[in-house]
Parts: sequence; C-alpha cells; structure tokens
Amino acid sequence: MIGLLDVLLPTVILTVSAMLTLPILTVIRRRNSHHRALAVLWIVVPFSAAALWIIHLSLEYYGSMGSQPFVFVSFAPGEEAHLSSSFLVDAVSIYMVIVYLLMGFASCLYGILYIGFEEKPSERYFALTFMVVGSVMAATLSGDLLTLFIFWEASAAGSCFLIAYRKRADSIEASIKYLVMIVIASGFIVYGLSIIYGLVGSLNFWVVRDALITAPDKRLLLAAFLFVAAGYAIETAVVPFHMWLPDAYTAAPPSSAAFLSAIVDQASYYVFMRVLVYILTPPEVLNWPVALAVFSALTMTVGNLFALAQRDVRRMVAYVCVADIGYNLVAITSVKPLGVMGNLFFFFVGGMTTALAFMAVGIVNRLGLKTLEDFAGVGRKFPLTSIALVVAALSFSGVPPFAGFIAKYLVFTAAIEAGMAWLAVVGVLNSVLQSAYLLRLIHYMYARPAGRRVRGGEPRNLLIPVYIMVVAIIVLGMYPAFALDLINPAALQLSLLLS
Amino acid sequence: MMAPLLFTLLLPLISLPFIYLLGRKPKVAALIVTVSSILDLAFLAMTAPTVLSEGKYVESYRWIPMLGSPLTLFVDGISLSMAVITLLLIISATVFSMSYMEKEGSLREYYILMAFLTVGLVGVFITSNLMVFYFCWEFMLIPTYFIIGEWGYRESYRAAFKFFIFTHAGAVSVLLGIGAIYMLTGDLDMFTARTLLESAPPSLLEWIFIAFTLGFAVKMAVVPVHMWLPDAHAEAPAPISALLSGVIIEAGAYAILRVSFGTVFPSIMDRVAGSQFLYIISTFGVVSAFYGAMTALAENDIKRIVAYSSISHMGYVLFGLSLYPLVEGVVGTVLHLVNHAASKGLLFLCAGAVMKQTGLRDIREMGGLASKMPVTAISTAISSFSIAGIPAFACFMSEFLIFMGGFQASSMDGFFYLPTALMIVATVFSLAYVLRLFWRVFLEEPKPGKVSKLPTLMAVSMLFLSFVNVALGVWPGPVIDLIGSAELG
Repeated sequence: MIGLLDVLLPTVILTVSAMLTLPILTVIRRRNSHHRALAVLWIVVPFSAAALWIIHLSLEYYGSMGSQPFVFVSFAPGEEAHLSSSFLVDAVSIYMVIVYLLMGFASCLYGILYIGFEEKPSERYFALTFMVVGSVMAATLSGDLLTLFIFWEASAAGSCFLIAYRKRADSIEASIKYLVMIVIASGFIVYGLSIIYGLVGSLNFWVVRDALITAPDKRLLLAAFLFVAAGYAIETAVVPFHMWLPDAYTAAPPSSAAFLSAIVDQASYYVFMRVLVYILTPPEVLNWPVALAVFSALTMTVGNLFALAQRDVRRMVAYVCVADIGYNLVAITSVKPLGVMGNLFFFFVGGMTTALAFMAVGIVNRLGLKTLEDFAGVGRKFPLTSIALVVAALSFSGVPPFAGFIAKYLVFTAAIEAGMAWLAVVGVLNSVLQSAYLLRLIHYMYARPAGRRVRGGEPRNLLIPVYIMVVAIIVLGMYPAFALDLINPAALQLSLLLS
Repeated sequence: MMAPLLFTLLLPLISLPFIYLLGRKPKVAALIVTVSSILDLAFLAMTAPTVLSEGKYVESYRWIPMLGSPLTLFVDGISLSMAVITLLLIISATVFSMSYMEKEGSLREYYILMAFLTVGLVGVFITSNLMVFYFCWEFMLIPTYFIIGEWGYRESYRAAFKFFIFTHAGAVSVLLGIGAIYMLTGDLDMFTARTLLESAPPSLLEWIFIAFTLGFAVKMAVVPVHMWLPDAHAEAPAPISALLSGVIIEAGAYAILRVSFGTVFPSIMDRVAGSQFLYIISTFGVVSAFYGAMTALAENDIKRIVAYSSISHMGYVLFGLSLYPLVEGVVGTVLHLVNHAASKGLLFLCAGAVMKQTGLRDIREMGGLASKMPVTAISTAISSFSIAGIPAFACFMSEFLIFMGGFQASSMDGFFYLPTALMIVATVFSLAYVLRLFWRVFLEEPKPGKVSKLPTLMAVSMLFLSFVNVALGVWPGPVIDLIGSAELG
C-alpha cells in the first residue's frame, strides 16, 4: 500500500534541500578551494535522490493500465476523501515529473554556473529553484483541482522572485506584471473552483468528471469551468493574455528564463491539458476544442509575427515561447491519443529547445550583445555557442533531424486526425514564418561581419549544460523512440478514458 | 550480418570524426569523403544482383514503432541508378574541390558538411519509408545552406537564405501530406500505403497529391516556384552547384515519381481529376522548358546560363512525369535524371574551371579560350552537346525516350499532341543557348587577359565525368535495363 509520503517524496526532498541550501552554500563559499565543484555537487545530490524515487515509482506502477490513475491517495479514507487533498500517479504525471527532473537538473546546473554562487544572495536563488521544481512536481501529482491550484500558485510565486532576482528596474517591473496577471488568474480560478465545489461537493478530478457527464443541468458547471480554464489560460500566456511573458523572460536573468521556460511553462501546459483533456472530455460535454483551436491559431500567429518584429534576440526567443504555446494547444485541441503523445513529447522537447535557446543567448548576452545587429559575426567569435543556438533555431523551425521536428509532426498529424486540417495548415504556415526569422538570426550570426568588438571568449563550463541539451535534442530527434516508449502508456490511458 | 544499405547511410556519418581529427590538411579530409563515397558505391553494388533478379532489395530496422516508421531501406532499379549517379557526382565534386577550393578557409568544416550532405542525398533515394525519406529530404538543406553561404560568391548568404526558405516551405507542405497519409493508413511505407490508400476517400487523396506535388515542385524548381534556383546555383561554389543542379533538384523529380505518382496517384488515376493533374503537370513542364531556355539565352553570367538551363531541363522531366504510367515515359524520365545529373554536373564544373582559370563570370568578356584551356573546352563541349540532346551524348537517348512516350500518349489522349510538339521545339532553344555559351567562351576572337593553368585534380574529375557522359550516350543499355527492372506504374 502506498502512502502519501511516497508520492510526495520527491517534493519533500527538494523542499528540504532548498532549506538546507542556505546554510550549506554559505559554508561552501567560505572555503575557497574547490567551491564551485562542491556547489555543483550540492545540485546533483537532491536531484539524484528525487530521481531514484521517481524511478522506483515508475518501475512499480508504470506497467499497470486502466483509465483510472495507477495510484490515488488522499488524507482521509472513504467518503470524506472527496473533501480532502489528494494525489495521484498516472502515466501522464509520472512522465511530466521525469521531464521536470531532467530539465530542472540541466537548468539548475546552468544557473549555478551562470549566476555564480560567489555572488551574495545567490543561495536564495538556488533555494528557490529547488522550491519551484518541487512545487511543480507536487502540482503535477495532485489529484484534485484545489491541490493543483495551491501548488501551482506556489510555483508561480517562486517564479516571481526568480524573475526579479537582479533587482533591476525592468526586472522588477516585469515581475510585478507577472504577479498582477497571476493574481487576476487566481481570482478567476478560485471563483470557478468555488462554484464547482458548491455544485458537486468535491474537487476531485474523477468525481468532477463524472458529475460533468451525468449532471442533468450542466450550464453553471460549464461556466465554472470556463473560469478555471480562463484563469489557467492567463497563466499559460495564451494570446490575448500573453503580454507578461516576453517582458518577464527578457528582464529575468537568462538562467531564470531558461529555467522558467523549461519547467514552469511546460507545467502550465500540463495543467491546461489535465483540466481540458482529462476532465472536460468526452467532447459531448462541451465542445471546447473548436474555441481553443481559434485561440491556438491566434497564439501561433501572433507569437511568430511579434517574434519577427523583435530586434532584441532574447525577446525574440520569448516570443517563440508564445508561439510554442500555440503549437501545444493544437495538440490539446485534438483530444486524441496521438495528440496527447504529441503534447507530451512537445512539453519535453519544446522546454528543452527554449531552454537551450535562452542558455545560448544568455552566454552571448553576458558580454553585452543583445540585439540582432550585436549578434552579427557571433558565429565566428563564439563557434560552439553559435552551433548550439543554430541547433535550437532549427529545432524550433521543425527541421529534422532535431527533436522539434518529431514534436511538430505529431502535433500537426493529431490536428489532421481530429478533422482540423485548417489548423494544421495554419500551423505549417507558421512554421515557415518561424523558420524565416530564425534563419535571419543565423544569417546575422554568420553572414554579417562583426560589428562591436568584445573581449572574452566562450565560458567553457557554461557550455556543459548547453551541450547536454544539444545532445538530447539530436538524440531525441534521430531516435525519438526513447521518449515515445515512455509516453505510450499515457496515450493508451487517454484512449481508455475516451472509450 | 550484411547490411549494405545501412552502411551506405551510416558510412558518411562514421567518417565524420575521422574528418574532424585528421582533416587539418584539407586534402586528407577530401580524401576521406572520397573514399567513403567510393565505399558507399561498393555497398550499393552489393545490392545490384538482388535488384536485377528480384526487382528490389529491402532492409528494415526498428526506429519509431509508434509512428509506423521502421527504418526501411530499399533500392530498386530506379533508386539504385539515382543513388549511383549521386555518388559519382559527389566523388567528382569532392575531387574537384581539392583544387578548386584550395584558397578558401576552414575547409575541414566544408568537408564535414559535404559528408552530411552525402547522407541526405543518398538517403532520399534509398528508402521507402516516408518518414526516413523526409528526414533525409530536410537533411540536405542544412549543409547546403551553410556551404552556399559560407563558401559562395557575392551575396552568398542571401542566396542560401532564399534556397532554405523556399525549399523548407515546400517541405512542410510535403509534411502535411505525410501526416495525412499516416492518418489514413497508419503506415508510412510507400508501397504498403499505396495499397491501403485504395480504400481512402478520393477527394482527400487529391489534396494529398497536390500537397506532395507542390512541395516537391519547389525543390525541383518548376517555373512559378523556381526563384530560388538561379541565385543559389550561381552563387554556390562550383562543386556544390554541380550537386545542386545534378542531384538536389532531381531529388524533387524523383520524389514526385515515387511519392506523388507511386504512392498516391494510382488511387485517383481513374478519376477526372487524375487526368487533369497530368494535363496541368505537362503544361507546367512545357512552360518551364521554354522559360528556362529563353532566359538562358538572354543571360550573360556563365553560371546563371547553366542554372537556367537546369530549369529548362526540369521542364523535360516534368513533361516526362506527366506521361505516367507509360513505360517509355517513366524510363525516359529516370534516364533523363541520370543523364542530366552527369552532364549538368560536368557543365557546372566546367563553368567553375573557366571562372577559376580566367577570374571572369561574364561570357561577353571571354572569348577564344579553347586553345588556352583545351581540357576545359573538351569537357564543356561534351556536356553542352549532351544538354542540347545531340546523339551519342548522354541526354539524347533519354529525351528521345520521353518524346517517344509523348507520341504514344498522344495516340491515346489527344491533349498530348501539343505539349509533345512544343517540347521538341524547346530542344532547338537548348541547342541555341549551349552553342552561344560555347561560342562566346571558347571560340570567337580571343580577348586579352591572363589564363592560369588547370589544376590536375580538376582536370581528372572533369575528364572522369566526360567519360561517364559519353559512356551513357553510346551505351545506355545497362542503365535502361536497370531502370526497367523496377516495378513501374
């Protein structure tokens, strides 16, 4: 029998280590020899501990099949379980937790090398990254809407501080903007949740789902869900609500941008998918896919058009993130096992690619090169960083053999399968637009002569996390079966749920 | 275990670390590329007996089972002949590069990209799985982009940019088609899909056919979507121009034959739209043939003339494709692809040699070079005659077959009389522009100007391709037999 702690252990490990980070890094900083290696080691320890536990969880339960979650635990037994907080382990959540762990590790490694833990309050930064990873994991493993909401907000609050870390005017402004949006979104969500709770008497995923299917009068319930979905749409930065994202990712330190895009962004897609695909289906309950398809087309197009217009490279990558949200929504709208497969693959690959892009851009940014004109000639000056950025750009634009291609292929095929060929066509046209402006970036990097003279070469140690990502993108692109084997149970579970 | 096709695909990749480690001297790097291509040829040759006796040779490995995509490697007569001419051209281009690129920088990277290009180019021809096909199809793009951009002339990155965007836009259209086929059949093997598609809704299949043909036509540079070609071919370094014109655009034609016609078309052949598609394709073929030839007549830049001549010849190929499923049409088309690869590749190498030796691009500034550069002159003559379709040179036989097919089609369908007649007229224009080119460059009054010596390796590679051209011209029998051994129509 599995207990509550078993499900939550990774979160507990990460939270405890977050607390320990403050004293430990302070101590390490005092000793001057080998401090960097020790700091890196400190990152490795909690992540590997959490990883071990997750490997255990997945080995134990991943094989079991059914439309219900593999494991479902709550504080209270029996009837009262409806009222209490609960957690679940199913194929989707296990997969997502694995993704967070891998991405979290790579981006924390980048963070500790980029921020430089010699800097004074940096131990708080690393503690917060642990906290955010931990709460995102708990949100993913949560089994009812309230628990999901609480942990999700916890991670959002942590993200605010990651954005504002440098305490520059623009980063504080961006983080306030983010905070305001989050608060508005929370208002929507809590309002929706209160109505749902009033009507159903529970916020448990499965109970709510049953209520949606069986309730005689669904109108109020659907309105409540509209609030919840709208709230999460704001936090996901679906297009009319996307304004905070480019600001936040441009003003935050690059390591934060990489971290947030790799983890918090992907978690927000996960939340969206959990609420829409796993609760609000089968589609006869409410025909939301069509409405969402419009939003997804809008998000892709607006994201790409704005990216096209940017001069600041990091801002451009941030808009690529917005466009990526659109691609993710394409797969969510399909409500097909293939779409779920595409989504889950995209979560991984999209996060990896944006993180890689932010990391590589961050290395160049560090020397004061920001705009497209500044990037002229970077290809020759920083060959390794540039190759990494080229890989990210080509993966974004969906060129094989990079992983972004398989992700896009799955997503568009899912759209065709769901009978929304127009959406696939819009997506494909967007893809062309995307490759055009990303190629313009490559063009600047290689074709133009260097403009400003800058001193300093490529920081070798920062290239380690960058190249971990590059290798992962190429390997997953050439042999996606590694990830798809892992995703397959999730797709099967959805097909069981739909039938 | 023998897996010749897998080795063919992987060998250039295996050679990469060697190029990187040993390639400080560019000649060594080039040598590694050459040797790996020659070994590739040997691997392909191992499949030839099976292909000739059984019609095809197949290998299959686990790859992405969830997407119905095993790594299926496949050759039949058509793909084998295409792959072989590709490798021959790559070998010539690499040997040519050894001297031609001598003065350029970072050549190790150049040869690494060349090895990548080999994987993409050969891979396109030796697979029957649409996913693998698409991988290789796009794999050609990245190395070509960087080679054109980095080692090209004038505004090379601009030309490369144009090339990338156009062909990538075409490729995503192909991707939509592949997605639709996967959705309809759950299988991405061309031959399995072909059978399974027979029960699919024909109106959807028509759209898939259009998506595929449009996407491939961009790569093939058929007239309304040809804009990328003159720039890319003219600005690329000569060996890459040879590959671009010789093989990369032909991959588009091959793909139309294999995927549009081979996989999708049989299910819609008997419908009204089916024959309309053929009419449209044949019209575009005629337009391309004339447009290319006329513009080539008007151009003065030596490489742009050759580039436009490629558009013209893709017109012939497109016309040949529209005769599907006539045996003469298909065999003639594939043979023309092989012949055109050999002769256009050679012509681009010759243009490169002329530019290298004289430092000029404008044919009005040249003249009377025949006595100063005899080897280049002879090679140019051979390739020009072949391009013009003069008997005993490569392209004659294939054009002849295509016209035979045209007449046969006309006897069944009156529509084809006019296109066939026009195509024959187009050959006159071909003759005109190659004669103008040859006259202006090699004959005429000599003009002042220094001419440097032709490096031996360039001469070797040009003479080798000249030999291939003449051989294909006087003795096309074996190639026709090889192509004919494939299951056609």
